[in-house]
Amino acid sequence: MGNSKKTSRLLTSPYIAWCLVFIIVPLMMILFYGLTDEGGSFTLSNITAIAEPVHFRSLILALILSVISTVICFFLAYPLGMILAKNRLSSQGIVTTLFILPMWMNFLLRTLAWMTLLENKGVVNGILEYLHLPGINVINTPGAIVIGMVYNFLPFMILPIYNSLSRIDENVINAARDLGADAFQTFFKVTLPLTVPGIISGITMVFIPALTTFAISTMLGGSKILLIGNIIEQEFTLSYNWNLGAGLSIVLMVFIVINMVVSAVSDSKGEDR
Amino acid sequence: MRSKIEKIYMGIIFIFMYAPIATLIVLSFNGSKSRARWGGFTFNWYIRLFQDDKIINALANTLIIALVSTIAATIIGTLTCVGLMGLKRRSRTIIMGITNIPMINADIVTGISLMLLFKVLHFETGFVTVLLAHITFNIPYVMLAVMPRMKTINPNVYEAAMDLGAKPLYAFRKTVLPDLMPAVLSGALMAFTMSIDDFIITYFTKGSGFDTLSTKIYNEVKRGIQPEIYALSSIIFVVVIVLLLASAGFKNRQISEKKIALFRMERRLTRKHVAVFAVLSACIVLLAMYFGGVFARKKNQLFVYNAGEYIDPEVIEMFEEETGIDVIYDEFETLEIMYAKMVQNDAAYDVICPSDYMIAKLISKDMLRELDLNEIPNRKYIGEQYLRSSEAFDPGNKYSVPYTWGTVGILYNRNMVKEPVKSWDILWDEKYSGQILMQDSIRDAFMVALARRGYSINTTDPEELKEAADDLIAQRPLVQAYVIDQARDKMIGEEAALAVIYSGEVIYTQRENKNLEYCVPEEGSNVWIDAWVVTKHARNPEAAMKWIDFLCRPDIALMNFDFITYSTPNTAAREMIEEEDIRNSEVAYPGEDVLKRCSTYVYLGEDGDTLYSDMWKKVKSGGS
Repeated sequence: MGNSKKTSRLLTSPYIAWCLVFIIVPLMMILFYGLTDEGGSFTLSNITAIAEPVHFRSLILALILSVISTVICFFLAYPLGMILAKNRLSSQGIVTTLFILPMWMNFLLRTLAWMTLLENKGVVNGILEYLHLPGINVINTPGAIVIGMVYNFLPFMILPIYNSLSRIDENVINAARDLGADAFQTFFKVTLPLTVPGIISGITMVFIPALTTFAISTMLGGSKILLIGNIIEQEFTLSYNWNLGAGLSIVLMVFIVINMVVSAVSDSKGEDR
Repeated sequence: MRSKIEKIYMGIIFIFMYAPIATLIVLSFNGSKSRARWGGFTFNWYIRLFQDDKIINALANTLIIALVSTIAATIIGTLTCVGLMGLKRRSRTIIMGITNIPMINADIVTGISLMLLFKVLHFETGFVTVLLAHITFNIPYVMLAVMPRMKTINPNVYEAAMDLGAKPLYAFRKTVLPDLMPAVLSGALMAFTMSIDDFIITYFTKGSGFDTLSTKIYNEVKRGIQPEIYALSSIIFVVVIVLLLASAGFKNRQISEKKIALFRMERRLTRKHVAVFAVLSACIVLLAMYFGGVFARKKNQLFVYNAGEYIDPEVIEMFEEETGIDVIYDEFETLEIMYAKMVQNDAAYDVICPSDYMIAKLISKDMLRELDLNEIPNRKYIGEQYLRSSEAFDPGNKYSVPYTWGTVGILYNRNMVKEPVKSWDILWDEKYSGQILMQDSIRDAFMVALARRGYSINTTDPEELKEAADDLIAQRPLVQAYVIDQARDKMIGEEAALAVIYSGEVIYTQRENKNLEYCVPEEGSNVWIDAWVVTKHARNPEAAMKWIDFLCRPDIALMNFDFITYSTPNTAAREMIEEEDIRNSEVAYPGEDVLKRCSTYVYLGEDGDTLYSDMWKKVKSGGS
């Protein structure tokens, strides 16, 4: 056994070193930059800078847009997940694959597609004009960004929800029905609670990237709408204020940690069951 | 009934998912560059795509990074999972917790944290840093796939093998690995996907002259969409669909087998899989390395940093052919972005092409190298008046050689703007709400507002700037988008009626759309000079001098002028322009009356820069 322990250490130590250098130290670096000023002395001003109207507005806007996108994704994905899970025996996994397939397209190409569709002289307006209908004006508005987020991240919601739905034992549903529960009761008392872990992981996989994106807002918002991701990106690429950029990233990490705690709590609950 | 509703629902989502992709595919065959008009069927964009070295290069980089990082992550991840089983539960939980960080953390935070690490360690950003970053975020995906499977493996089998005299490695290979293999492969597939799809982390960890597909597309899109990108999308989509359908069909066949048969088959197949996978990856890596130029000699290279679409690509090829120097050519969007990159790594580029005020800033920061004029004999073709103007930002012409010059003004579409355009005021006219394109660059945007109020375009008076910022905030709802290079395509495509634009874009846009007209507003504007400079820590200053000299050669300057249509200060080249109306164009070579009301930007100092960039952030986010 002593030998095996040695082997274990030997096998895991490269990765532990890797974690230290490429995960822990870089995060410490963000903390360091975020908590110091240009001269290197301690300050909280980079963190409190989030209260400045410019930054605060972009954070609030990012929160609003990402919550809306997450909710839309959820309501689109759940029914779809149910349909796919129900048909899993009859039809093949190909159908499911088809709904997740856009995920394998390059993320920027997916966003580019919506630019092409939504532009003033774009495809959608071209079709509307052909049909003698009034055109739409969506590009460079928050609406366009929400569409972009939903489209890009929907597969990340479908996948975990579908997985947890298809893992439900059919007998459990049947038992509920046998015991007199109607369709609604079965859904709200049995199906939905059983899929909570899937829902949570879907929400995480949509909400965090949506909250922190800067590419979608740049491409579909015409650089007119700044989300917190854009602000941070610009501090690094434009204003050259790394300390402020790192400070604002720390604020973002707070949201990520909240998300982590929520999913950890729900995970442990799921295991209890 | 119910199943009908279900089918309709699935249909709607299916359309939502695939209509955009279908659009891209259709447009890739569209003969017209316009997105709203069908201009006949063509394969042209596909041909052009394969001729575009940069995109092919980026594709090769993407594949190398994805493959190498996947293989490395799979090996490290799998070994770690095996090792973790022998550790105490507590340390296992801690390590798995740390492993989760890159997955749960926002990409932007991971990207920035790694960028800071590489900066502090003085790592030169490029291929290696991107690779390290990709391995870092790929390992968790492998471990996440392998760990659950690992837990189900019965250690007794392994120990039994050992008891029967097998050596540890042999026992592992024969007992544990076969059971683990499907999980390892699915983890590897996941890692590969994530690596190919990644944009944000690559964006922050890539250095100069290195692009993956994602970062390349991001740059292209910001400049205006080229139909070649549609062709690329279609190819990627077809490859993805073929691969996935093939693997899905494969899995299904397996599931339908009986359990034992499945087990055996899985073993056999996975072994075959691994062999095929290994051979394939080796081939792809070699091919990609070939195209990616990994084998290319690294000695005589020149790193050039220029604005977007600011040179005839053929000129670069000619230079490479004539001198044998390898040019690594990178483009920046705004001077501010260029400066940030320079501060990050002042030896990243040898020769760059900034504007007047930025050159002054670089000189004041001691970031430039004095030119060796003996090495640049062709400088004699640059007009005397331009060298004199350059003295304003480069006293004695010690650091820079003018490349282009021009004014800033309003480009408008005669069919959409019926009234005469004379003043910046028209950009605040509510009639044109949603039809106005502003420049997404700090100095130019403020210049418009300051000139309109009659203030100096170089003011650092907080009061005047505040007024200008308030004006820009008031204008914001009317603005369709803040753009840089995209303005050109959008005006040609009649996406907008009015745009703030550099005079150099005018000849080109008018060629493509006859309804466009240019005006330098009567309140005054900016006249600028872009010039080549060599960086202080250039690694190849000799080649940089050669580059500048080459661009000053009249025939080369003429080629460039024909391509980019920005006014050249090269008098010999100007005389060679064939069309008389262009040689004497009022737009390209404005008269004294226009130049009189224009002034040059000057460097405002550190405090001035901060003042402007703070104000600009307020404007962009829509209020004070």
